[in-house]
Amino acid sequence: MLRILLIFYFFMLPLKVFALIEVDITRGNLNPLPIAVSPLSIDETSRQSFEKILKKKNIGAEISLVVEKNLKASGLFNPLNKDAFLQKPDIANLKPRFEDWNLIKAQALITGKVNIFEEKLRVEFRLWDVLAGKEMMALAFTTVPNNWRRVGHIITDKVYERLTGEKGYFDTRIIYVSEEGPKTRRIKKLAIMDQDGANNKFLTLGNELVLTPRFNPTSQMVTYLSYFKNLPRVYLLDVETGMQEVVGDFPGMTFAPRFSPDGKKIIMSFAKDGNSDIYTMDLENRIVEKITNHPSIDTSPSFSPDGKYIAFNSDRSGYQQIYVMRSDGKNVKRISFGKGLYGTPVWSPRGDLIAFTKLHKGKFYIGVMRTDGSGERLLTENFYQEAPSWSPNGRVLIFYRETKTDSKGEGFSAKLWSIDLTGYNERLVKTPTDASDPSWSSLLSN
Amino acid sequence: MNRSLLISTSLHIFFILFTAMSLPFLAKKPIDLPPMVSIELIQITDKTNIPFAPKAKKIIEKIKEKEKKLVSEQAPPKKVKKIKPDAVPMPEDITKKVEKIKEDKQNPEKIDNEVKQVSEFEKKELFDPNNIAALIDKSKVEKAETTKTTDKITQDQQKNVDLSGLSLSEEDALKAQIFGCWSIPLGLPYNENLLVRIKLQLNPDGTVVQSEILDHARMNKPGQGFYKVLAESALRAIKLCQPLRVPSTGYERWKELQLNFDAREMLEG
Amino acid sequence: MKLNKILKNVFLVTVACIMLSACATSKKTTGQMQGDVYTGKDTVEYLASGVPDRVFFATNESVLTTASRETLRKQAAWLRKNSKINIVLEGHADERGTREYNLALGERRANAAKDYLMTYGISSNRISVLSYGKERPVDSGSNPLAWSKNRRSVSVKAN
Repeated sequence: MLRILLIFYFFMLPLKVFALIEVDITRGNLNPLPIAVSPLSIDETSRQSFEKILKKKNIGAEISLVVEKNLKASGLFNPLNKDAFLQKPDIANLKPRFEDWNLIKAQALITGKVNIFEEKLRVEFRLWDVLAGKEMMALAFTTVPNNWRRVGHIITDKVYERLTGEKGYFDTRIIYVSEEGPKTRRIKKLAIMDQDGANNKFLTLGNELVLTPRFNPTSQMVTYLSYFKNLPRVYLLDVETGMQEVVGDFPGMTFAPRFSPDGKKIIMSFAKDGNSDIYTMDLENRIVEKITNHPSIDTSPSFSPDGKYIAFNSDRSGYQQIYVMRSDGKNVKRISFGKGLYGTPVWSPRGDLIAFTKLHKGKFYIGVMRTDGSGERLLTENFYQEAPSWSPNGRVLIFYRETKTDSKGEGFSAKLWSIDLTGYNERLVKTPTDASDPSWSSLLSN
Repeated sequence: MNRSLLISTSLHIFFILFTAMSLPFLAKKPIDLPPMVSIELIQITDKTNIPFAPKAKKIIEKIKEKEKKLVSEQAPPKKVKKIKPDAVPMPEDITKKVEKIKEDKQNPEKIDNEVKQVSEFEKKELFDPNNIAALIDKSKVEKAETTKTTDKITQDQQKNVDLSGLSLSEEDALKAQIFGCWSIPLGLPYNENLLVRIKLQLNPDGTVVQSEILDHARMNKPGQGFYKVLAESALRAIKLCQPLRVPSTGYERWKELQLNFDAREMLEG
Repeated sequence: MKLNKILKNVFLVTVACIMLSACATSKKTTGQMQGDVYTGKDTVEYLASGVPDRVFFATNESVLTTASRETLRKQAAWLRKNSKINIVLEGHADERGTREYNLALGERRANAAKDYLMTYGISSNRISVLSYGKERPVDSGSNPLAWSKNRRSVSVKAN
């Protein structure tokens, strides 16, 4: 058959004079994709049962609202105003009238329904390509009713992945340091919340200073620095059981902890006699290894996702710069060569970039560079900001920023902010108190 | 002096040992976090057969009738597609869904025959994955053919090449139109090949008869999920822009048109 | 051996002295700051009459200035007199730096003070070191003067 076709084409050849015209389209708009999130429909009996359990009038609409807010916050989607919807939520059982959604310029549509099933919350949802008039995805979830917000986050993750081609980051948590009180006597507590700021909980009471909490890869453990009894030490906290322990038996201050990508080790700095070096401790056999041995300050270590390399901060050149070495401490290479000071290197989960804080001429920048130091891009500039942490898909950075609240520079507030890797979509992440040192968890469901 | 030093040192050591051994937060409230109940993900079906909303159903039936007529009157069935302009072939959604725990046997909607026909109609419009190979071959042949043609023309007469292309202003008009329609998905990796080539068959009024992704095989390759997303966005752009701003004359020149969508410049810059 | 170490330290300190004084002449003295080292007395508290409790540092530095060494010599004399008193040296940094680096920097500053006290015969057993980085500023302002007050090592009675 193919051969015949070929021969046919060859015969046609002399007749065909015009070459196929090619037009290169190298530009488009970066406008967020218009998407319609139709509220999940719910039957009356389910609605009443959930109202009793969750004290929410219409849980279907609430879940849709979570999805809508997530999509909006990503900056990649533009959820359309529900008032313009021509079709009612009950379309969950039907194929949508695409021309209606076309009319309000929606390019994608989410529909679905909620019901109660053996005391559990059951959600079905579908994602539609309005222009092509076809279904792109259909999934159902069953869970305990209290998990309804997470259902919204998981739906967003699935939609995000289907429409952008990369994993989402919505079913995640953020651990951070909650701050209150005047700067000179700041009270700091560990706090944890959902990625969208919901379900905020404090993990410590604020009796002692706590700093730099970081999640392990499974997001169940947190390592952080506590000044308990005025002895600054790295601690380990199990978020679910509340169990705590001191990491290692160091005769001095340990700080700047992070987990290794397999979660088996903690890497940190240990300071003694005016010299800080980097150490690892194996959490299973408690073996401590000294990784750097240099009279300068070596701190802020961060493993590459494959565990083969460590990025860290050192002033061995005279000033704070970023270095990369093998995980055994050999082959140390400086990678930051721009003007200014560089700190807090954090390796991206995708492995291709290192995020950092840069100080130059009195300004603080959050930026990214390739792991060899090339391609430096500064994403945001401000009077004071630092400590970027990656979203699990390596798309978004969360960091904290201090701003003055009056012109004299007297009052100040510290807040969490997120920014897309492109430098677009900078947003405030709302927290009940002032906040610093955020750390983004991995996806809770996979 | 020595004695006091001794006492002080031993007290210090005691103090350090005491603090080091007792753990903090002894008086802490237990941490109260919501239970981590894992969410069961159930795949409904690969392709749902749920019915159309009533209005849409009628429309489709109408189109179906027209189709029948047209099929009997005119031989090439492709012409029908201009009546239903959103029938650009789309790839079947065959991405494997993760986390399918069990097939959902509870899908409540039973499909009556009529609706089934409707969905079959729909299916016909969709891209048949078995055809991908054939299409790729076709595109190869096409390419070979184009190069040969060009060669020939260059040998014969260089002016012909210019005649066969669009003029600069014609090309600019078309480009400008599509720029406005194409929302580049911002989540794409910026260090990958982000070129999608789409071949169009056009009507004289600029509506699209058929669009075809030339590197179709790449769509479903593992690790190339972003390519599918990009290709879909390009197809959406073409649909959104219809009818395309084509020159008013010389239909023969541009009845077949290839659009090369390249997102790299946008995402890098 | 011990004598040797002391001699070495004294030598180093003298060299540093000479180098610093050379620097100091080229720097302007503006109000309460010399270069960018705080020289005022506003925040200073006293361990005893005439014994200031803190020393100040230049940005990103942990080198003791002439004034700092004088303060520390007074502290050493006072510690020798009050042999029952132990101290904690609390090292601090200003807010213009990343948190973790500043923790290390504070520790380095406190240790610079500790080393100097030890050259004046104070046993290391009596001195413990603690770094707060930029967590405990004395002046909450965001200006060069406030920062200079915050770059410090404070000697605190431990008992």
